[in-house]
Amino acid sequence: MRLPRRLGALLLTTALGCGLLTACNDDSSGDAAQPAGSPTPARDVSLPDETKAPPDPDDPALDPALSRPVEDSLYPDVGDPSVDALRYDLDLAWSPDSRTLDGDAIIELRSTESGDHLQLDLGEPLEVSSVTLDGAEVEFQHVGKDLVVEAPVTKDERYVLDVAYSGTPQPTPAPTNRTDFSTTGWTITPDGETWTMQEPYGAFTWYPVNDQPSDKAYYDFTLTVPSPWIGIANGVMTAQKEYGGLTTTAWHLSKPASSYVVTVAMGDYTRTTNTTQSGLEISYWVPSDRPELASGLQAAAAGLDWLKNLLGPYPFDSLGFLLNDSRSGMETQTMISLGATDYTTSTAVLVHEMAHQWYGDEVTPQDWRDVWMNEGMAMYLQGCWEAAADGRTVDAVMDHYAELERKARAAAGPPAAYDPQQFGQGNIYYGPALMWHELRKKIGDDAFWKLVRAWPARAPETNATYDEYLDWLVNRTHVHRSFFDSWLLDPTTPPRS
Amino acid sequence: MTEAAATPDEIDDLARRAQDGDRDALELLLAAIRPRTLNVCRGVLPFTPDAEDACQDALIKVAEKIGTWNRRGRFTTWLHVVAVNTARSTYRRMKNQAVAADPTESQAMQRPDPRTTSVIAGTRLDLLEAMEALERDHPQFVEPLLLRDVYGLPYEEIAQIVDAPLGTIKAQIHHGRRLVRPMLAESQ
Repeated sequence: MRLPRRLGALLLTTALGCGLLTACNDDSSGDAAQPAGSPTPARDVSLPDETKAPPDPDDPALDPALSRPVEDSLYPDVGDPSVDALRYDLDLAWSPDSRTLDGDAIIELRSTESGDHLQLDLGEPLEVSSVTLDGAEVEFQHVGKDLVVEAPVTKDERYVLDVAYSGTPQPTPAPTNRTDFSTTGWTITPDGETWTMQEPYGAFTWYPVNDQPSDKAYYDFTLTVPSPWIGIANGVMTAQKEYGGLTTTAWHLSKPASSYVVTVAMGDYTRTTNTTQSGLEISYWVPSDRPELASGLQAAAAGLDWLKNLLGPYPFDSLGFLLNDSRSGMETQTMISLGATDYTTSTAVLVHEMAHQWYGDEVTPQDWRDVWMNEGMAMYLQGCWEAAADGRTVDAVMDHYAELERKARAAAGPPAAYDPQQFGQGNIYYGPALMWHELRKKIGDDAFWKLVRAWPARAPETNATYDEYLDWLVNRTHVHRSFFDSWLLDPTTPPRS
Repeated sequence: MTEAAATPDEIDDLARRAQDGDRDALELLLAAIRPRTLNVCRGVLPFTPDAEDACQDALIKVAEKIGTWNRRGRFTTWLHVVAVNTARSTYRRMKNQAVAADPTESQAMQRPDPRTTSVIAGTRLDLLEAMEALERDHPQFVEPLLLRDVYGLPYEEIAQIVDAPLGTIKAQIHHGRRLVRPMLAESQ
């Protein structure tokens, strides 16, 4: 296991007072408080050698993370198309008592333009102590949530950017009036545990990032927390070690992901597992004081088998569920994040979030106006599952959706032309779900399920635009484009058959 | 992201419309309360298939008896009572079926014995037995005690549900606990 860079910082800070890696202009850095009762990790600052090869942004293994970053049409202030991130290597140490996050982000990236700067998003409360580009210190400006790195860059050249930062992250207001969340990003519970949910944006509250879905990248995480707490993230846990009362875990996500499907949680967790019929082990990370929550989640295995029959092979090499203190559920790639509520732990929601692994994570909208691509299909599959589980017809479920749909479209706008301040309302779920059901009736079950299976497999691990999707649909189905356009863009609900 | 779950206010609204005879509202209500009902049943019957049976029964009960919700408290509070009582009936039924089966017959091998395969594996068996015992002599203690100690409802809300003065409820819970405590396993 690689040396956790920020653990080194924690140890040095504690042993030597003012940290060697930070600029000492922050009065909290001198007494980075450890949780009461946890051992003082100061006696020995000699740490295992760094064994991992230095980052090489020109490694062709990173090529699948090459993206076409865009400025978002709904949320243009978040994300910046100057950067095409290829890999984020995030080393994060969390001190619950002082609520301090010590972060070191190594970002391998491609500059999309020739110019004098690169721009990323990073939450204002986080103080940046140093930025290097290809190993050399560079100037930077951190104004609001914009981190501007001042250095000459060349179009399509690849660079290694290293940002060290520290502070107490603050969640950011979410552009929605949904009832189940009002902020996104790094969230701290009263006990000092942490979790993240960050759709449509909010990753920037805890790491420097191009926080827009068109820029997919690989992720590695090294997470350090006081034992017995543990840090959990997307992908596979590749190492877990204890040093002097601190637990460090390493996580690797083997396929590129957009920032809004990244997740990290830190707290007192216990892992259980079960296995799908096809042999995929599913992990369930449940708060240690609520072990009973794990039993209901085990239904995910049968749910995934059901989905695989419709959608084809599961697109990733691992799957887990992570319960947190939110009241929503999020399809974070390969490690689904769920609030511990009755609804968000129900099998219907598990199926919904697993469906997103194909629709949303494997193929992802280029722009937030097209979040209907994710939610319409996930909601339709959830409805089909509920119909099968409850012994109802899909038509009966769709009648319910239609009742909810009319009101939602009137309140928040058409699914693909919605009010940007009403992100994630029922309009992006029920309207396109009804559209898929109508399409199924037009082209028949066989053709429909072939189509549903073919779309994520068409160009795995990429992003899609509205026109790309509609051209493909029209070409495959010979259904007139106006059918799709009116379901997605009309202010009122089109007629149902 | 998941679609937002119905809020307590929205559920109350659906329940009022369902009470007034709106069939669509009843269907939406039953769909909306299913996860909560299942989890209440799981609290009593940890073996998932048992809880799912009880949940189905409870939703049927809700549809039949929705007219008896008095609209004073949250609908979900009333739902808790229906779900707990249904889960207890399911438990009783399973226990009776298990006793009726003759374990020496080979037939018994084919039908799983709930005493060993489901209910008995759950952590709440002792509690259910204690409630059965309590019901024989002090049936009025059972509901307040379950609502307080299993579902954690505040005393005021329990008083509203069972329609009794607050002082009476507190006394019933106090006496109920004293009677039940010796019957519970150590860990409880």
